[in-house]
Amino acid sequence: MTEALARLLRSPQGALGSALLLALAVPVVAGPWLAPYDPEQFHFTARLLGPGPDFWLGTDQFGRDLLSRLLVGARSTVLMAVAATALGTGLGAVIGNVSAFAGGRLDEIVMRLLDAVMAIPGLLFALLIVTALGASELNALIAIGITFTPGMARIARSVALTVRKQDYVSAAIARGETQGYIVLREMLPNCVAPIIVEATIRVAFAVMLLATLSFLGLGAQPPSSEWGLMVAEARQFIFRNPWMIVWPGIAIAVVAVGFNLLGDGLRDALNPRT
Amino acid sequence: MPLPAQPPALQVSGYGLDYETPSGRFAALRDIDLSIARSEVLGLVGESGSGKTSLAFAILRDLGANARETGGSIRLAGEELTAKSTRELEAIRGRRIAMVFQDPGTSLNPTLPLGEQLAEVLRRHQGLSRRQAWREAEAALARVALKTPAEMMRRYPHEVSGGEKQRVAIATAFACQPDCILFDEPTTALDIITARQILELFERLQEETGVASLYISHDLALVSRIADRVAVIHRGRIVEEEPAAQVFSAPREDYTRQLIASVPRPDRRLVAPAPAAAAPLLEVEALTVRYGRDRLLDRLRGRASRQVEGNRAISLAVRPGEIFGIVGESGSGKSTLARALAGLNPFEGSFSFEGRRFARPAELDRAYRRAVQIVFQHPDSSLNPRQQIREILARPLRLYDAPGAASLAERVEALLAEVQLPADFARKYPHQLSGGEKQRVAIARAFASRPQLVICDEITSALDVSIQAQIVQLLLSLRERFGTTYLFITHDLNLIRQIAHRIAVMYRGDLVELVEVEALAAAGPRHAYTRALLEAVPTPVG
Repeated sequence: MTEALARLLRSPQGALGSALLLALAVPVVAGPWLAPYDPEQFHFTARLLGPGPDFWLGTDQFGRDLLSRLLVGARSTVLMAVAATALGTGLGAVIGNVSAFAGGRLDEIVMRLLDAVMAIPGLLFALLIVTALGASELNALIAIGITFTPGMARIARSVALTVRKQDYVSAAIARGETQGYIVLREMLPNCVAPIIVEATIRVAFAVMLLATLSFLGLGAQPPSSEWGLMVAEARQFIFRNPWMIVWPGIAIAVVAVGFNLLGDGLRDALNPRT
Repeated sequence: MPLPAQPPALQVSGYGLDYETPSGRFAALRDIDLSIARSEVLGLVGESGSGKTSLAFAILRDLGANARETGGSIRLAGEELTAKSTRELEAIRGRRIAMVFQDPGTSLNPTLPLGEQLAEVLRRHQGLSRRQAWREAEAALARVALKTPAEMMRRYPHEVSGGEKQRVAIATAFACQPDCILFDEPTTALDIITARQILELFERLQEETGVASLYISHDLALVSRIADRVAVIHRGRIVEEEPAAQVFSAPREDYTRQLIASVPRPDRRLVAPAPAAAAPLLEVEALTVRYGRDRLLDRLRGRASRQVEGNRAISLAVRPGEIFGIVGESGSGKSTLARALAGLNPFEGSFSFEGRRFARPAELDRAYRRAVQIVFQHPDSSLNPRQQIREILARPLRLYDAPGAASLAERVEALLAEVQLPADFARKYPHQLSGGEKQRVAIARAFASRPQLVICDEITSALDVSIQAQIVQLLLSLRERFGTTYLFITHDLNLIRQIAHRIAVMYRGDLVELVEVEALAAAGPRHAYTRALLEAVPTPVG
């Protein structure tokens, strides 16, 4: 494991991605303590300001400090994205492994069902789920997790199919192990590397999907300072204070780029032969 | 005045090679000295990792980016190769030095017809026109005894058998009458009888053309038959070089002696006579295994099923305490039978174990699985790479709950001791172990449940001879201790005649002969196929 980490940090993408995400970890962990103001405190005398000495990044239409809002919003934005990805990855990995292990007709049915789901564009599918469940932060998370599941299941299955042919799986069957044990203890641990890589890259998509859902009013609800929601609320004031859109936009981009780079780096580090 | 001596076809002197690895430099070859005269065959024998293939690629001047040469010279008919530029080498390779690889399946281009690949060599190096090259190539295919050379020229590699592919590769190597040809285990990937034919072809062409050959192999018995001199390589050094006849009869070095002692010899039996006949432990009755699914669509349209029979109505009985050998070529269905008995293949027919009859894989219960264990061919793939050895060994102990008051950790330790591995291996992962050690762990796992029958599916064929000998010794000592019955599957006839009491010969899914080893030695085989197999096996000379 340490060897893989060393390889990760040696590659330019891996090192840069790790650095970006480390920097991002600071507001995620300590955002509320670092914030100079209460993110929901109104400053009526200082509305729609650009960057200045009192409010470093400016203020919004209610005079709320943009820097404080960004710092506090980091936690919900990033953690939500990671949680949604984890949900989709976990579900997908289990479905893919079970399908690969079972084989035959069950495999066929599961994969065709997933194909059908994948035919619906991701954002549309997420919208569909949120509309069915109702607009809330938790439902947005669940929707994104479910949207990610079919793709992850496909990847997990393709890896699991090669693992399935290994003799240690045959040995477990010959020993009379239960199917649950074989899938969870013998097969799944040997599929993790490609799944982790895919998951890392998908976190970036999750951030953007969440932002989009919030932007459409289906994710986080005001007065939350989730970054996508910040962009959505700033829309009406784009000509009076463009900074309101620029800062959360940059923050979202940094997260997306950071996770993408880390994913690229991990792909090389975990598969040293390719 | 003496004539100026002709330089040897190939001379390597003081050659050394290192590989750069993440964990430092690894010395692959050290102080290599060898020379091959015209029309001479030098056999190079070594175990895996000994550097024999590295040497072949060094001679071909085709080294990896992480290879560092530490000096020495390689001369082809007196001409230094190490100083040559890439362009000069391109004119030499294929023209004056050629190589035949182990696996003909990967050494031929799958997208070009065989004739094209052979004619290209002639056009490039002999300057022949397209038509001349084609005619020349056809003649070359005829020389390697391919029956229909004209047809063969137009076929693609996937349309011909492995033996035919290797013949084409050999024809290509001989095409430009090179000074020297390197053979890197050219028969290892082939079946016994095909390998024998390729070997005969090699001997004939060698005699006709008088080319100097470097024949690389792990098989000392085979090399000592075909080579004039044999060089033994061990850890990058040539430890001994002798005329072929003397290597077996009078080896000088300890390593060679140890290697020779490991080569299985059918005349040296390793087991006591078979136990007295008793009620059979395992009785297989008309067991058939089919591969492929019966497709619903085919059935509806009245099409014939596309299933392939891996085994056809196999019947045999294994007596308690005996070592029952199953031999056959790849695809003969011997592993299919093993996997069916281990509950890994669906089957028709039935078998009984200790009087209990099983007609479906689902009927194989825990008691049967505890009593019958299987060990697989490739130790790399039979141990889960994400589990420590103690986890791998503790699992069957917990699953079958074998009796014993000791703690799980102690029992894992005891299992490791049974297979002669140190206790601290419990905390290691499979990738930290060598092939032989991994196979010992796999054997320990099989013996964890104290089984009555252990199915050994080619368990030594991925290992070096010296390791194979140790594993066989281990199996025999375990059998002495626990009275285990073995179903020993292998393609190595010398080995099986050494250890088995009875041998079943399989051919294309059928059991063609079932014979006591002693009767086989005394009266010879009855079935023509068994006879062909026995004749094809190189037995050690001297």
